[in-house]
Amino acid sequence: MTRNLNVSQCIAEALLQEMEADSSVVVLGEDVGRHGGVFGSTRGLQKIFGADRVLDTPISETAITGMAVGLAMDGYRPVLEIMFVDFIGVCLDQVYNAIAKNHYMSGGRVRMPIVIKTAGGCIGSGAQHSQCLWGTFAHLPGLKVVAPSNPRDAKGLLASAVQSDDPVVFIEHKKLLLTRADDFPFGTNVPLERFTIPIGEASIVRPGDDVSIVTLSGTVLAAYDAAERLAEEGLSVEVIDLRSVVPLDMDTIEQSVNRTGRLLIVDEDYLSFGLSGEIIARLVERGALPASVRRLAVPDVPIPGAITLEEAVVPNSDSIAKILRAMCGQR
Amino acid sequence: MITLTDRYGYMVWMRRFELACLEGVPTREIHGELHSGIGQEAIAAGMAGFLRSDDAMSSTHRNHLHAIAKGVDMRAMLAEIFERETGLCGGFGGHMHLFDPSLKFSATGIVGAGVPVTVGHAHAARLRGSDSVAVAVIGDGAVNTGAFHEAMNVAGVMRLPVIVVVENNEWAISVPFSAASATETVAERAPAWAAVGERVDGNDVEAVASAFGAAVERGRHGGGPTIIEATCYRFRGHFEGDADVYRTEAEKEQRRAIDPLALTRDRLIATQAASADELAAMENAISQAVEQMLASVRADALPAADTATHHIFVEEMP
Repeated sequence: MTRNLNVSQCIAEALLQEMEADSSVVVLGEDVGRHGGVFGSTRGLQKIFGADRVLDTPISETAITGMAVGLAMDGYRPVLEIMFVDFIGVCLDQVYNAIAKNHYMSGGRVRMPIVIKTAGGCIGSGAQHSQCLWGTFAHLPGLKVVAPSNPRDAKGLLASAVQSDDPVVFIEHKKLLLTRADDFPFGTNVPLERFTIPIGEASIVRPGDDVSIVTLSGTVLAAYDAAERLAEEGLSVEVIDLRSVVPLDMDTIEQSVNRTGRLLIVDEDYLSFGLSGEIIARLVERGALPASVRRLAVPDVPIPGAITLEEAVVPNSDSIAKILRAMCGQR
Repeated sequence: MITLTDRYGYMVWMRRFELACLEGVPTREIHGELHSGIGQEAIAAGMAGFLRSDDAMSSTHRNHLHAIAKGVDMRAMLAEIFERETGLCGGFGGHMHLFDPSLKFSATGIVGAGVPVTVGHAHAARLRGSDSVAVAVIGDGAVNTGAFHEAMNVAGVMRLPVIVVVENNEWAISVPFSAASATETVAERAPAWAAVGERVDGNDVEAVASAFGAAVERGRHGGGPTIIEATCYRFRGHFEGDADVYRTEAEKEQRRAIDPLALTRDRLIATQAASADELAAMENAISQAVEQMLASVRADALPAADTATHHIFVEEMP
């Protein structure tokens, strides 16, 4: 029996249950209280837990990110909402100089159990409200980086992020946040009770034998859709949802490409110096690079404003299907 | 109650501690840019004794004196600064990044970044229903950062028990305060954030103690944030190795002549709170103690190379 929740509701439910279970969990951010979050992922929490524990803040990302550091050093587990991941630039100092480093710099004496919950991904919002940036966070040591692709994972991974003693950047995809479970072909069964999905384990969303697609977040759905279409053309496509960039589940990737011999990495983040290159480098180091490797990512351009331009640079099921056909010698 | 003699004792410990650190620079036991607080002791010593272990304090790249005032173990600090595995942070932090969670003491090398952290501690106190306060010590350069403004505004609107002590030594490395601030003082900006602002002579340990003690009491009783601007002078360059050509020799000579330790010592003798002999005995005892501490730290091991990748995450990574 599936509950037809959207991803935002799943996240709000996870937060509610984690806050009920642990009084040290606090939420802070812009519009998270009275409004319940601009995407609704903190809806109802302030009424239950009060205005101090679900804190509506001024538009002061540096101040509130620093507050999360102080709260964490004072025994709390802050869930900090940065409304759009693009805004991280105004508070990146606290993220990469304090949140990511305080545990290390203190020789393990200080812990930073902070969740930076933020929305990324393309929905036609232009260059400053569409980025994914998980590659940027993953480059900085000390941060776990999670990006769920479906309702069930969103709830279970967020619960794990809140319970983690390490800082977790939790990147929600804007397109998925308002998509309901019934519109997903996978991850639709969201348990009502509290549960976790371990961070660092990729999921094989769709098994296949001819080619492996490795992706995460919003493009899992696009890859799944392309795989379904290619199945009608006689191609068996495996779709792997990484779920997290740090840790990166290389074992699952390696086992898959060992079987299929072909790898397509699909990344809604920028192409260069990022996730796709890293996966390939690690496969090379493992001596496990398959003969056929392609990558499809945003080709090092800002996300354009007009939807026709956005569609030209962001991976979708058409562009994925086209590359799959080329890789497997089909037209 | 902490006496003026006690505060003088703090100041002597602080001066001797900093002098001990200076010894590690030419010998290459300390790498990077060491920032000495010599000349600014009266501010840290004026804060001593008012804070409990559950009151938080964040400090700066020039943090040793504040850590001493908060009660951080000096041997562990010295070992950290001398890059030993016995250091406060096991050698992972270094002189700019001291952390003592048992005292809620932390430092950051990023100018201005400690103030928002302090606001978080203050909010934690509110969530717990505790009367603890949170103190950020910053320099005059930090008051022109966005972090300072944002954090002061949040502290003001939330009426949080945040005390910002600004050590105004007039120079942000080479740029004088008069060329960097639209206002003549920091304290006069306080009303913009509904904070109490006070400017004190940071060479006068009693003036600092009086202002700081009042701010702590105000914070404990719901009076909101305070900015204390304590004027002072950095006796040495911004860091050890700084050619310090931006300040004239005449200025440096004139300002270094006003030594907060000498001022306090003179006051103790003038008011007959202590005799010159008693103070000399105290100074000698502290000098010997620091000397022994340094010798003992120097015997400690350096961190093992194969530990460099420890402590990145709490949880084991695949």
